[in-house]
Amino acid sequence: MTKNFRLILILFFLIFLNPIYVNSCDRAYNPSKITVAGGSITEILYFLEEQSKIVAVDLTSNFPEETKKFPSIGYVRNLSAEGVLSLKPTLVIGEDDMGPPDVVNQIKKTGIDIIILKEEHSSEGIIDKIKCVGEIIGEREKTIDIINNKIMPIKIELDNLSKNLKNQNIKVMFILTMDSGSPIIGGKDTSADGFIKMIGARNAFDSFEGWKPVGTESIIDAAPDIILISNRGAHSYKNLENMHNHPTVKYTPAAINRNIIALDGMQMLGFGPRTIETALYLSKKFQMIENN
Amino acid sequence: MSIYSKDIALFYDEKEILKDISIEIREGKITTLLGPNGAGKSSFLNIISGDLDFYNGEVLYNQRNLKEINIQEKAFLRSVMAQSQPIVFDFSVKEIVEMGWLEKGNIKYSDNFKTALNEVLIECDIDYLKNRKFNTLSGGEQRRVHFARSLLQLWRESNSVDPCYLMLDEPTSNLDLFHQIKMMNAIKKLSTEGIGIFMILHDLNLAFKYSDYIAILKNGKIISFGEPKSIINDDVLSSAFGVKIQVNKKDDNIFINYV
Amino acid sequence: MLSIINLKFLNSAQSFILFFLLILLLLVLIVSFSLGSYSFPVLSILMGNTSAIEATIFTEIRVPRVILAAIVGASLSVSGACLQGLFRNPLADPGLIGVSAGAALGASTIIVFGSSLTSAFIFSTFLLPLSACLGSGLVILMLFLLTRGFGHQGVTYMLLVGIAVNAIASVGIGILTFISSDSELRSLTFWTMGSFGGITWSLLIPALIIIFISFLFLLPILRNLDILQLGESEAKRLGVNVKSLKYRIIFASAASVGASVSLSGMIGFVGLVVPHLLRLLSGVNHTYVVIGSALLGSSLMVFADLLSRLLIQPAELPVGLITSAIGSPFFLWLIFRINKI
Repeated sequence: MTKNFRLILILFFLIFLNPIYVNSCDRAYNPSKITVAGGSITEILYFLEEQSKIVAVDLTSNFPEETKKFPSIGYVRNLSAEGVLSLKPTLVIGEDDMGPPDVVNQIKKTGIDIIILKEEHSSEGIIDKIKCVGEIIGEREKTIDIINNKIMPIKIELDNLSKNLKNQNIKVMFILTMDSGSPIIGGKDTSADGFIKMIGARNAFDSFEGWKPVGTESIIDAAPDIILISNRGAHSYKNLENMHNHPTVKYTPAAINRNIIALDGMQMLGFGPRTIETALYLSKKFQMIENN
Repeated sequence: MSIYSKDIALFYDEKEILKDISIEIREGKITTLLGPNGAGKSSFLNIISGDLDFYNGEVLYNQRNLKEINIQEKAFLRSVMAQSQPIVFDFSVKEIVEMGWLEKGNIKYSDNFKTALNEVLIECDIDYLKNRKFNTLSGGEQRRVHFARSLLQLWRESNSVDPCYLMLDEPTSNLDLFHQIKMMNAIKKLSTEGIGIFMILHDLNLAFKYSDYIAILKNGKIISFGEPKSIINDDVLSSAFGVKIQVNKKDDNIFINYV
Repeated sequence: MLSIINLKFLNSAQSFILFFLLILLLLVLIVSFSLGSYSFPVLSILMGNTSAIEATIFTEIRVPRVILAAIVGASLSVSGACLQGLFRNPLADPGLIGVSAGAALGASTIIVFGSSLTSAFIFSTFLLPLSACLGSGLVILMLFLLTRGFGHQGVTYMLLVGIAVNAIASVGIGILTFISSDSELRSLTFWTMGSFGGITWSLLIPALIIIFISFLFLLPILRNLDILQLGESEAKRLGVNVKSLKYRIIFASAASVGASVSLSGMIGFVGLVVPHLLRLLSGVNHTYVVIGSALLGSSLMVFADLLSRLLIQPAELPVGLITSAIGSPFFLWLIFRINKI
């Protein structure tokens, strides 16, 4: 069983390392009924106050709270063609983790407009994505207004703060989960890596690529000043207090100085409008940490 | 001192396999059970060795009911050499023989382990095989190894008076003539040392030559029991085996002819 | 302790190999204690002149991890050797016949349903290993029933039963995966890959005690396991209490596999490879094979963990990946060899 399971797992990841081709940001033919596969796109549609166009969302769309009222099409990496089509959308928008590719192709063959956005893990990437969504749904002017009023001030403040922070060389470790065995940590070229850079800090583990398990000794060796973890990842410890005392992180500067921070996963790694706010929030917080 | 079977009856799937069998197996004597296939010989051996316990009647070991003797004590009272199963792992001949050496409760003999082992290896003519892998031996050689193991299980110091019994199910099958005779002589020697022997044989000549008592079993019933000379006659044997048999007696020897 | 092992039946080559394996284990332990991704001279720790953090890393992180690897290696190999003896089947391995999968299923069930019920300490220290032991015990019991009391049914039959049991356990784990949350799911994949990370003394010591007791349970019956190879009725004639022998092995294997799987996840093929290496080296009697399996199994596992820690540091290779990479070709070779006989 384990053998097959592993094989499937490996194949699974091989397939998803190949990005399916990415569309340009042209206006869609009919954006009136949208099925969304990607939490950040749902977030953007709400941000642009265009939520009335949504007919269905995937499981990663959990913000804002009311998205729960929409029918769910399942997990973004593992969609079923009929499930997506059953709600008769006129447009499907996803990100490049949408899959599996065969299902995406099946949907394409039905003639329904399907647009896959490229994800770039930076503030510029987020702004581009919002712009792109705005253009697709045919609300270009409104979108640029909203970006200029709501996002740009945050971005400018974040850019200043993160420039400051860079000189302080703060090392951040991003933990996905740490339930059993060694914790799974974000390395180079992961969304976590991009998020840490947005804040203006340094990824404590930029010597390897992807998400990998890391042993306790390596964690102590890397000596992260701050540990970020998703609420879900921290959930297994009931509260942050237990987490600070967990043997795998207990001896890091982060735990000793009580700098383990748990936030909603999509808020950090969704790369929607919230991500840029969160980066600003953390960037501010980190400056205070250093001032202490 | 003896094993006494009293009114043994065995039913299996509502079929009567054995009917009211009463036999005594005496210390220092060879008692042989003869009979055609399916007569119930092996079932009877399994009952008096204690392998089967769903029979009617009683088996008494030196006046003790067999069912009240625990499994370890039984191992000291009797040794059984039956048809053997294949062995998966590659044990050496020596290791297979050593398995007959009973450890628990046998402290008074345990110093003699090496002596006893060498004795039985030589007795069974397998000393030269002792470092070979058991699974590479021929059927006859494997039989001799199992025989040596049974002997080791019963090994006692020469002045010992502990009663014990050896039960053999067709011990000579697969053996060449030389080793048949050698094994029968070894069995005879054991009986003169005081061990009670009970065996199943197919070879009538060997049976009559070596046995002190013979029982003939047919359809689950003993049809004849006694000393070879007293029970042997053409009619009994012919009716037991369903072939015409002629017995020639010359001096003390008995020869069987099939006609 | 030596009095409960019957050393009389070891030949001199076997005694030498066991002695050599003991030395090997000590060497591997010393190397493993001194190497890690956080480097510092271990000698200075023993002398007492190091910084507090280095001493802590050594005693709280490295030593428990190495000891965990050692006892997991020993318990998987020993139960592999004993189950092979009990089933009279050279291909019995806790992983192949589904015992590990049963333990993983037990542990997963309690992770998905039980983690919110009790405090973290009681949960991970007692409930998790207990439920893993229960899972492995149930699988062995099921095998017991399916093979009619471990009667000799041939090599293929056992493997087929193992495939079925593994499939059943994977259905169970699959259902749990389906109903579990995202982070619980991540930790479920851990059970199928195996890891020694994140171990603490408070988790290690109960497992150490369980495994030690189950070994004590096994040691006096190694001779009887040899005799069982003659066949069940033959063993009875030689005074072996076959029923109690079976129960002892079932209990001890379930407990030691359950305890180790609950801490390290499923690590395949160790229980198959190690006893066979010993048989290839020098003989098949269980006194030698089982004691040797404990020594060689822990050496190999400590070494595999060392590789997992060092090869792609600072990240880690799942240790189950290393053992399977070595074990699966060996398994194929073994099948061909058995077919030839």
